[in-house]
Amino acid sequence: MENEMKWETDMDQALARASSESKPVLLDFYNPG
Amino acid sequence: MGAVTYPDTKVIGFISENMIPLQVLFDAQPLSTDFNIKWTPTLITLDSEGKEHHRTVGFLSPDELIPSLLLGIGKSYFETDRFEEAIESLERLLREHPNSDAAPEAIYLRGVCRYKSTNDPKPLKEAYEQLKAEYPASEWTKRAYPYRLL
Repeated sequence: MENEMKWETDMDQALARASSESKPVLLDFYNPG
Repeated sequence: MGAVTYPDTKVIGFISENMIPLQVLFDAQPLSTDFNIKWTPTLITLDSEGKEHHRTVGFLSPDELIPSLLLGIGKSYFETDRFEEAIESLERLLREHPNSDAAPEAIYLRGVCRYKSTNDPKPLKEAYEQLKAEYPASEWTKRAYPYRLL
């Protein structure tokens, strides 16, 4: 099991992966504080 | 989320297996404006076309995030008329996270999916009866109240 989250940072790249892997996207808007 | 929920091994495993995680700053343009972001954390489930199907605002613990994401996945299928896949996701939520905050909505939506895939209203009444018995104070029990008459 992976020990950290591997976030995409580009919407187009995330959507391309979502299409090819048949998965939805989890889009997290965050504030680093 | 970054300090508690995202480092959780169950959360990492679930998201890696079931979703494409995308993280952007709250004020990143044009996404912040496109999605009308006013507070953080805001978590949105999108389909591969970029269409929104589920949104939460505020902190979620690991034990609440996973069922919330399962609900979002179920809603993504529901809103694209993929009822059997929606039911699978919702039943996994109810099987693995029956005490989560997302469970009552999952019972409601599963009843709707069953109705829409069969045109039999019985699942709507069953959803109300289960909600009344197991989650009497839930808003979803109130929303299902008319189905008692079916």
